[in-house]
Amino acid sequence: MTADDAAPRLSLPPGPRFAAVGAEFVRGAGAAGGIEARLADRLALIAEEVLAASPPGAGPVSLALHDRRHAVRLELGFPTADLDLAGLDQARMRDPEDDAVGLYLAARLADQLTTEPVGRSGLLLGFNLARGYAPRSLDPPPPGLGPLAGAPVDPDDATLALLVDWAEAEGLGGAGFRIAPRVLDQRAAGELFARVALDARRRPIGGLLWQPFGRRMMALSGPALLLPPGPACEALAIALLDAALGALARGSIQGLVVLDAAPDMPRDAFEVVGHLPDAAGTPQPVLFRALEEDPGGIAWVPPLLRDWVTRSVRRLGLGRDLGEPPPPGRATGAVMAAETDRAAGRVTLRPLLAAGDAAAVAAGNVALFRGQGFGQFRAVLDLGQPGHAAFAEGLVQAGLAPAALIPDAAGDLLLLAALE
Amino acid sequence: MSGFDLERLVPAHVASFQAYVPAPPDDVLLRRFGVTHLHRLHNNENPLGPPPAAREVLARWDPAQAAIYPQGDGWHLRRAIAAQFGLEAEQVILGNGANEVIGFVIKAFCEAGCNIVTADRTFAVYEWLASFSGIEPRLAPLRADGFDEAALLRAIDAQTRVIFLCNPNNPTGSWWDHARLERFLEAVDGRAIVVADEAYAEYAEAPGFPDSFALMARHPNLVVFRTFSKLWGLAGLRIGWMAAAPAVAATVRKISISYSVNLLALEAARASVWDTAHLAATRDHVRQGRAGLAALAARLGLPLLDGIGNFAMLRLPMPDTVAHRRLMARGVMARAMTSFRYPGWLRVSFGSAPAMAAFAEALEAVLAEV
Ligand SMILES: Cc1ncc(COP(=O)(O)O)c(C=O)c1O
Repeated sequence: MTADDAAPRLSLPPGPRFAAVGAEFVRGAGAAGGIEARLADRLALIAEEVLAASPPGAGPVSLALHDRRHAVRLELGFPTADLDLAGLDQARMRDPEDDAVGLYLAARLADQLTTEPVGRSGLLLGFNLARGYAPRSLDPPPPGLGPLAGAPVDPDDATLALLVDWAEAEGLGGAGFRIAPRVLDQRAAGELFARVALDARRRPIGGLLWQPFGRRMMALSGPALLLPPGPACEALAIALLDAALGALARGSIQGLVVLDAAPDMPRDAFEVVGHLPDAAGTPQPVLFRALEEDPGGIAWVPPLLRDWVTRSVRRLGLGRDLGEPPPPGRATGAVMAAETDRAAGRVTLRPLLAAGDAAAVAAGNVALFRGQGFGQFRAVLDLGQPGHAAFAEGLVQAGLAPAALIPDAAGDLLLLAALE
Repeated sequence: MSGFDLERLVPAHVASFQAYVPAPPDDVLLRRFGVTHLHRLHNNENPLGPPPAAREVLARWDPAQAAIYPQGDGWHLRRAIAAQFGLEAEQVILGNGANEVIGFVIKAFCEAGCNIVTADRTFAVYEWLASFSGIEPRLAPLRADGFDEAALLRAIDAQTRVIFLCNPNNPTGSWWDHARLERFLEAVDGRAIVVADEAYAEYAEAPGFPDSFALMARHPNLVVFRTFSKLWGLAGLRIGWMAAAPAVAATVRKISISYSVNLLALEAARASVWDTAHLAATRDHVRQGRAGLAALAARLGLPLLDGIGNFAMLRLPMPDTVAHRRLMARGVMARAMTSFRYPGWLRVSFGSAPAMAAFAEALEAVLAEV
């Protein structure tokens, strides 16, 4: 949840009677806050569908509209988690007469759907829509940058923007170092962090970015290095990484994940925890750097992945008790959330709610998105949660294979992937 | 109970703080890492254990006494410590480990809006205790792996109440001598409490290590921490102490927790003060450990960072957190230093000879795997 107390809010009774009021609120608040009508309309539809689909017993539904600059976000809060989330699972929806159709439509309208518990028993649904950015022309970096002067800094906006522009102009740093206005907006929203190295004239000569990856990890992107290849450039990469590690040490973040490493990422500072296919289908190493000592933990592993996980645990030297997960308590009603990246043709699935039909629901999700033309599939299971294991069977049936084990003593993340 | 809204009741600085999770007990670690023994080189403990007189106190102890409260503020022990260092008993305050004393000082001097100043790469507890008490920790970067007075002085402002110096510094072993500490106290000029955490002072053999108790007479804002956990081998009993000028000590005493140090700890510590034979034997052991580790580092071509204390740091050509795990899987516990903002470094305590040998063998094997 964003701690954005200035966001316009409204509380409404659940059910169809007030759904239109919710939609009008979103449109009106969006217009007053300067959100483009195109985005506000989509969020208004989402609000309407979710309100209409919420059962009378759900208690008052809170609506909050957040402008995070690079994205707009509608949050719908429920005082109880009793809401039947099945409708949010895009693969489950078959019958348009079903009450849950609204949730299904809402999930399809969003670029990203998140769910999180609030308080002791509440639930928060977040629907994100990404903003577009107009293309700009970029100047290349000036000649003669460097050498590194002092420790990398948490940069001001102008310095960060300059670095991203220069990296983009040179094609350096990977996908993270593109579209400076987006990078600045993400940072302003608290969803992106940076360290930038400067030369004696305080010009940016390199940088590293990171963004939340689950609750306890950060995903690194970069580095973008503007020095010519050589020892000074290698030292720059290490200085940036050390600065990032120093910034994150002693906090809640357990580790850094690199899903697509720029060529200049210092490999020695990481371990390889698996491989993910890139867009061309070539396996690329998944890099990981733990920040904290790993005192061992429990991993709940579905029987069908036991061999693979056991091998990974041994190879990585992890101290793990491997447990066979108990069957989920609920017989039916398993739910997965899907995060779609339409431009990349990629969908990432995460379990929301475990139940006995988890395998079928997982397979159904893959089939659904395959039918919509998505070509890259990823799933993230938290092996610290016994319920997540139940989804594995369906994912494997649908053609996903275990790709990486990201260590976290409180719950290793198992990445599964398939490329069509 | 429907009115209970936990979130409303929790201060923001507590809500945002990440709880420290101690490692599980050895039996759990043994099972998870599939080993039958774990050598403890991670907590800077003394492998020689407590001095003989303290052992005797423990061996003689009558379990029936467990029913009785200890004396509430360590009357006898405070007198023994005061006599050893030429202080008044009122200047000495005991705690359940030096860690508790850190909390006393922050509680006594800091309120909302204040800050403490310390280094970025030092013992974590100053920073943590401040953070979860709603006090801003200001972290001055080390310079050449040691506390940097210029950076510390720059970090001080009108809101600064306490400056924590770790002398010698855990984990680098770097230290300030008497003259340097005195110059710093003069520069601070009474604007804040200056804590010299001397948890490892008993390991200092170099001439010139501060006589902080003497400095305290001229600089009443100086507070000194000591502990029985390190050289005195009583870490498991949890007992540490601080000394300060009488008025400062009287202030801290107001918020200190009476009865927080247990009977056994009080008696064992009192019996330990000031066993010079144990001191000499431990220093001798540390000299050997230090020489052995230096030889290992040289043989493996690993940079070594070493100073005063029963530990040193090695720089590895791999992530320290990976080395930590792989050493665990070979039965050796050492400290990964990323969390001390020394990524790639491992801190090793000078343990028993077999533990050091096991470490050397395990480290070579781990490095061979990279
Ligand atoms: C510098 C420093 N101060 C204080 C302590 C805490 O000691 P105690 O065991 O007395 O709480 C330690 C323990 O590691 C330490 O290294």
